Amino acid sequence: MTQKLIIIGAGMASGRALEELLAAQPDGWDVTLFNAEPRGNYNRIMLSPVLSGEKTFDEIVTHTAEWYEENGVTCRFGEKVVAIDKAAKTVTAENGDVLPYDKLLIGTGSNPFIIPLPGHDLDGVIAYRDLEDTNKMIALGEKSDAKAVVIGGGLLGLEAAAGLKLRGVDVTVVHIMGHLMERQLDEAAGYLLRKALVDRGIKVMCSANSKEIVGKDGKVAALMLDDGTELPCDLLVMAVGIRPNVALAAENGLATGRGIHVDDHMVTSDPDILAVGECVEHDGAIFGLVAPLYDQAKVVAKTLLGDDARFVQREVSTKLKVTGCDLFSAGDFADGDGREDIVFRDPARGVYKRLVIADDKLIGAVMYGDTADSNWFFGLIKDGEDISDMRETLIFGPAYQGGEPLDPMAAVAALPDDAEICGCNGVCKGDIVAAINAGATDLAAIRATTKASASCGTCTGLVEQVLGVTLGDDFVIPAAQSVCGCTDLSHEDVRRLIKSQELKSQPAVWQELGWKTPNGCHVCRPAINFYLLADWPLEYRDDPQSRFVNERNHANIQKDGTYSVVPRMWGGITTPDELRAIADAADKYNVPTVKVTGGQRIDLLGVKKEDLPAMWYDLNQAGMVSGHAYSKGLRTVKTCVGKDHCRFGTQDSTGLGIKLEKLLWGSWTPHKVKLGVSGCPRNCAEATCKDVGIVCVDSGYEVSVAGAAGMDVKETELLAKVTTEEEAIAVTTAFVQIYRENAKYLDRGYKWVAKVGLDWVKEQVVDDLENRKALVERFEISQSVYRTDPWAEHARERAESYQPLADLTLEAAE
Amino acid sequence: MDTLTTVATDTFIQVAEVWVPEGDRLVLSVGDYNGLTAFEEASRQSSFGKGEGLPGKAWAECRPVVLTEFDGSYFKRIEAAREAGLTSAVAVPIFDEDTLKAVLVVLCGDDDTRTGAIEVWTTDSGGMLKLNEGYYGAAKEFEFVSKHTHFPRGQGLPGGVWAAKAPILMRDLGSGYKFVRASAAGKAGLTTGIGIDVPVPGESPYILTLLSALGTPIARRFEIWDARKSRMGSSGQAALVDGICEREGPLWRDDGDGVNDEAPTATAWKGPVGQVLGSGLPVVSRGGAGLPAGYQSFVGLPIHRDGALSHIVAWYL
Repeated sequence: MTQKLIIIGAGMASGRALEELLAAQPDGWDVTLFNAEPRGNYNRIMLSPVLSGEKTFDEIVTHTAEWYEENGVTCRFGEKVVAIDKAAKTVTAENGDVLPYDKLLIGTGSNPFIIPLPGHDLDGVIAYRDLEDTNKMIALGEKSDAKAVVIGGGLLGLEAAAGLKLRGVDVTVVHIMGHLMERQLDEAAGYLLRKALVDRGIKVMCSANSKEIVGKDGKVAALMLDDGTELPCDLLVMAVGIRPNVALAAENGLATGRGIHVDDHMVTSDPDILAVGECVEHDGAIFGLVAPLYDQAKVVAKTLLGDDARFVQREVSTKLKVTGCDLFSAGDFADGDGREDIVFRDPARGVYKRLVIADDKLIGAVMYGDTADSNWFFGLIKDGEDISDMRETLIFGPAYQGGEPLDPMAAVAALPDDAEICGCNGVCKGDIVAAINAGATDLAAIRATTKASASCGTCTGLVEQVLGVTLGDDFVIPAAQSVCGCTDLSHEDVRRLIKSQELKSQPAVWQELGWKTPNGCHVCRPAINFYLLADWPLEYRDDPQSRFVNERNHANIQKDGTYSVVPRMWGGITTPDELRAIADAADKYNVPTVKVTGGQRIDLLGVKKEDLPAMWYDLNQAGMVSGHAYSKGLRTVKTCVGKDHCRFGTQDSTGLGIKLEKLLWGSWTPHKVKLGVSGCPRNCAEATCKDVGIVCVDSGYEVSVAGAAGMDVKETELLAKVTTEEEAIAVTTAFVQIYRENAKYLDRGYKWVAKVGLDWVKEQVVDDLENRKALVERFEISQSVYRTDPWAEHARERAESYQPLADLTLEAAE
Repeated sequence: MDTLTTVATDTFIQVAEVWVPEGDRLVLSVGDYNGLTAFEEASRQSSFGKGEGLPGKAWAECRPVVLTEFDGSYFKRIEAAREAGLTSAVAVPIFDEDTLKAVLVVLCGDDDTRTGAIEVWTTDSGGMLKLNEGYYGAAKEFEFVSKHTHFPRGQGLPGGVWAAKAPILMRDLGSGYKFVRASAAGKAGLTTGIGIDVPVPGESPYILTLLSALGTPIARRFEIWDARKSRMGSSGQAALVDGICEREGPLWRDDGDGVNDEAPTATAWKGPVGQVLGSGLPVVSRGGAGLPAGYQSFVGLPIHRDGALSHIVAWYL
């Protein structure tokens, strides 16, 4: 005897369940299929190629009218079910029909989430969910100069953007997170994806907050961001996520949470009602990708057939359906204790692979540009296989397993002459060997003659190995002077490449320079952060997470965990009001020690971390700003009293010191920078042991640089004698800027000058007036961003992050 | 799409032939002359030096070349072509980096009755794709529109292929494509379009598009095979990533779960696609074994990129 099965919702999950059921028991069921959409089952996830024109809708229909007819399925498409009577075991259709069931399957799917921004109900604001949405986007392609904004840089949003672009629409993707597809990709893969999308003319804005949808005559006209940016558009697509559609189930008394609760057999709280797909919640999880839905569908069919089957959640993987963007992601790739990363990058081919290992098992994989072994890695993740035996060669995929690890020199020796060594410049091993035979016997000569290793530099090690193999013992591979273990490149190489390749973000550096770790380490991140902000002040945003603790907390941490706070005193000049404010702060926050520093400042020592924002606020109110006593940046400008008070003074050294400090403060430099301005050669401000020291003389100003008074003690060297204060300021500024642009991170000025030679610095800063002017201009551009008081911002916006995580003085009640 | 409802007997392309380098000349390797035996015979007796005739020009200039009129041109087989009713031809050089592997030549005729388009796009000074040359048969309005259309990177079939560095098969040329030539394409009856990047030495990109009309189709079955190592690993195989067939319907298989194990694969030297995969050369065949049911002829075009075979585009009639 046939049983009556009513299915509500003709989505991918219920469609698959129906297929499985009828394949197993073709004559056992009298099926009625309701669907609110006026059509039957189709492969919803293939709507994106329909949008792009790479598929037709007909191609993605999974069940045709003929199929339903052949299988005796009564179709009620375009009709909603409005009520379920569990006791009577009936459903009521929109038109009032009451139909009995033996078993009911709910597959109502999900609803796209619409952010309730002002203007979200304007005409032209759509989700990306069904054929109607797709057709609206296709229709936009017929309009000349059409513009669209897609909110959401996840899978669906990006597929919508790519499809619209192919249709000739000017598209901007607005994404609230820092990188695209953050749920599926890490930052490095997100960077490559963004690069590929930008390359095809799609504008991408990350870390962008939508504020309001602006309308005109009831129709969408623009999206306004919270920073005031206005993005004009004719269509706004919101692709920001889905929510299980539980309304019908909830209204009719089925247990629901985020989704319709189902057990392992996909049975709801009513034994004769099953649910499947995106509308369900199983063991706390809801589902958006297709693989688990198909698993659920199989279980639904088995349960209906009376067989025992259980749905088990499993790892899912992701693919973006944009032709030319090859990416793969599966498992868990968040950072965590006890996790180990294996990273492979090939900048020339745009390849990034990262494997995450925990307890000798592969738990996550992210790949961009080369997904050949994705199935194999996915299998390892799903099976939880022990990978310790193939740990060394795992990243190279199944083809490399089982072999002995290669001696790198032997591997290079075995390479044929046509093997490419330098992907950037297309230089083969044979070319390099020929250059060596012609007399190029070191790396610099190889770079000059063949260009190998002259672009991204990641093949430097290989080129050196070719030199080693060819020249034998005559060539000693230089000991690596790399930034850290994350890269073989030196600081100098990295700085050069950041400029020449216009790398403007950390992920760009990691990828294009072939970093061996996903995100750098505590050694390289501060350096790269500095290089990026120094070279691209307007494009790059300073990353506090890449700073030492002192710079993050804008105070010096002391050995007992308290902090020292030093307000800035311009040129060492203070006022009674400032001194009172400092005294008040010291009283209010129980500061145990108040010390006058060598740089003519007052240091409040022993401040608790949680008191920092309030103390800064109080000092700010008194007109004082951070003294940056903790930073790799301008520290102090020490001055003597100058000609206003001193009978030996030749110029206004105090005034010049204040001007310099007000000009230079807030700037980040490779290491700390201290200045001194003395009013006469008696040098009371001890200017000649500073990074920049100015000694005033009757004829003007002697600007000298590269002094030190720390572990090393060194007198400054004369950079220039100038006659006017303006020139002294310009030469000083230009010197600071050229140091910022060229020095290795953590090289003090004197070390850097010793490397490049004072003559070169003179040529750039003193002799070449045009260059001096350009350096000053570039410094000023950078200062337009960085000449701000970090205390003020932190006191205003981030006070909560300075609070202790827990009060450990409280004890639990007995 | 189980049964073929309309059988088009007339086709846009009449002849397809493959010329391969031998010493310093191009010689005929294989051809599908579709019964035009006199022209076949003339071809077999021909060979071309670099810069000589149509195949030699494609070789010398390192770009696809479209020749819409033979009379008075550098075309060498004018007499034989005229007798065969052939009036125009397109030569597509297949380079593996700097090395010429072969030149595929297709010839067409009956300009006034046959509709379709074979176009070559390359960049202009503004960095947009513009029509370099094209052959349209009777689709005169579409030809006019195409000559006045530019594609930025990522836009339309040519711009999409350029950005993706991969062949793209588009279905609905007749709808949607606003200034991207839709209305004209619809009027011309053009339905399916395949865009192919043609890597050649030099900086300029060349995109070949074949636009097929229902009445005089370029093909009734198109396939795109992905042979990149970055997808297929070291298997040496190729996967069918997209395809459409008048008989079998869509040929692609994708469950959308991110795992690439649904797509059919081809193995080197097995079947016509396998011949292209194994040899790295274009393959043209007629009536041979291994063709899908109902098909008589096959053209398989390899694309080499970065020193390896990356894709195969195949079309069948």
